[in-house]
Amino acid sequence: MPILPTTKTPPKPSLSDLTVLWYGQTKIGKSQTCAQADGAVFLATEPGLNALEVFQVPILSWEDLLAACAEIGEGKHPFKTVIVDTVDNAYKFCTEYILRKYKVEHESDLAYGKGYAIVNNEFQRVLTKLAFLPYGLYLISHAKEIEVETRTGKYTRIVPTLPEKARKIVLGMVDMVLYCDLDVSAGADGEQIIRRVIRTKPSLYYEAGDRTGRLPETIDLDYRKFLEAFQAAAGAPARPQAGPKQAK
Amino acid sequence: MKTPDTPPMVTTYSMWNQFRNCRKAAELRYLQHLVPLERDRHLHFGSLIHECLELWHGQRDLARVLDLIDRRCTARAQDEDQKRDWHLATAMMRAYAERYAEEEFEVFALEQVFEGPIVNPATGAASRSFRLAGKVDGIVRTGEEYFILEHKTASQIDSDYLERLWTDFQITLYAHYVEQTLGIPITGILYNVLVKARLQQSRGETEEEFEARRADLLAKSKTGRTTARRREPESDQDFQRRLAEKYADPAMFHRERLYLSREQFDILRAELWELTQAFLDARRRGVFYQNTSFCFNYQRPCPYFALCRSNGNPNVIENFYQRAEPNEELRVLPAGSSEPAF
Repeated sequence: MPILPTTKTPPKPSLSDLTVLWYGQTKIGKSQTCAQADGAVFLATEPGLNALEVFQVPILSWEDLLAACAEIGEGKHPFKTVIVDTVDNAYKFCTEYILRKYKVEHESDLAYGKGYAIVNNEFQRVLTKLAFLPYGLYLISHAKEIEVETRTGKYTRIVPTLPEKARKIVLGMVDMVLYCDLDVSAGADGEQIIRRVIRTKPSLYYEAGDRTGRLPETIDLDYRKFLEAFQAAAGAPARPQAGPKQAK
Repeated sequence: MKTPDTPPMVTTYSMWNQFRNCRKAAELRYLQHLVPLERDRHLHFGSLIHECLELWHGQRDLARVLDLIDRRCTARAQDEDQKRDWHLATAMMRAYAERYAEEEFEVFALEQVFEGPIVNPATGAASRSFRLAGKVDGIVRTGEEYFILEHKTASQIDSDYLERLWTDFQITLYAHYVEQTLGIPITGILYNVLVKARLQQSRGETEEEFEARRADLLAKSKTGRTTARRREPESDQDFQRRLAEKYADPAMFHRERLYLSREQFDILRAELWELTQAFLDARRRGVFYQNTSFCFNYQRPCPYFALCRSNGNPNVIENFYQRAEPNEELRVLPAGSSEPAF
């Protein structure tokens, strides 16, 4: 019997190889969900983890974050998933660091928009380096509503609270954009059923995405169920992502 | 992959220009049909003025033009951008109608669409892969001569701006195709340039801003008194009056007539043919490289910058782009028309 393979095996990325952005309204349970990840360590840039029993490094400045990342990079620890909670505050620390470094009060004090560019470059440099480490990287952000004007009209969209350019940087480097939301449906008796869910596919009304193509459109906001959905699909061929919306 | 039965791809100047500037951007727009989800605010004013000019030159009815501006800026009470566009377009078109109450030309056609083959200048054979289509703002006649009418809005008209008109590859190419496909001999181009006034409607000052200014003035005052009053926001009427004064300046409008030489047509045909060959080669090999020198042309990022920076991450495509058929500029609707209700 031949032992050489006749078919290719599908890629089986582990969750600890992926970079994931989790965002949603305050207190919906983002940190609680991420805390259940394998070997989780929080880089806590804002208070709010008090109710959770987790490994955490309090981060009060960009220098703190760089120091923590350097130690994580050395690999002398048991952690497998790095959680930046929140990436919004990490971006603020990055901005403050650049302002101090260049001795200015605001990004716009550096001519020709240079301040904004320096902040974004530094932010992207560190996140990219962190993403290349052999650990899962989870970035947590809050949600906000913005008005988007498209070719077919204006509408309100829910997006992570990062500034626009930083948002584009983060969305461009992550494998998954997971929107934590409340799903309201009617029960058999007509009563409202509200459940907390993760939305994984993009919509005109919120940002989301899953470049692995393995997740169903909606999963309960529960890390175990998220893991089950990801692992169940790992054996099956990846579903291609739905194409972008067609302009009318 | 093109088969013998595949009809030639209809292309436009915009496509060839984008391909010349950045092959990657051309691939994303014209082969993958991607466009940014968010509309570019910078294009709104130019499109509005083009529509106004089409209506004005077609009907010469200022009331209808002003009505069109009102309808295109219905959200101006809440939307600052629309309000700014409404003020500027209203003042600009009022002044334009007064300035050009009498025209030296006769309008022959407006928003004229054309389509024709792209020809190999060496052999005279038409390309089996591409055709060129386009739309000119107008064709006008002065005596026995026909000119392409090209509207432009500009921040300022200086010598560089006028010199640059000679390098306008697009309009020269269009003139050639109008001749070839519509049989109208084109003598030259009539550029109709309208300058965008840089005036801003004053917002006035808040109570706090006034108090701060007043405190400053008092500190400098030798008498310890000041007659300063809080600046009120400028009313729409006052701002329109200020804009009208600005547009009374003859320098806010300019007409430039350029005569075309047949040699220019030959150069352009050869360049266009070269571009088609380069595109075919890129498509065959599946290689559309980025021209990073163009990522920040016009001092702002290219619409595809976020996508290129993410190395084509599908999350970026799905959240920041949508698919739209190319060559939207060829869509012809009479100026001022609205979408059907049903």
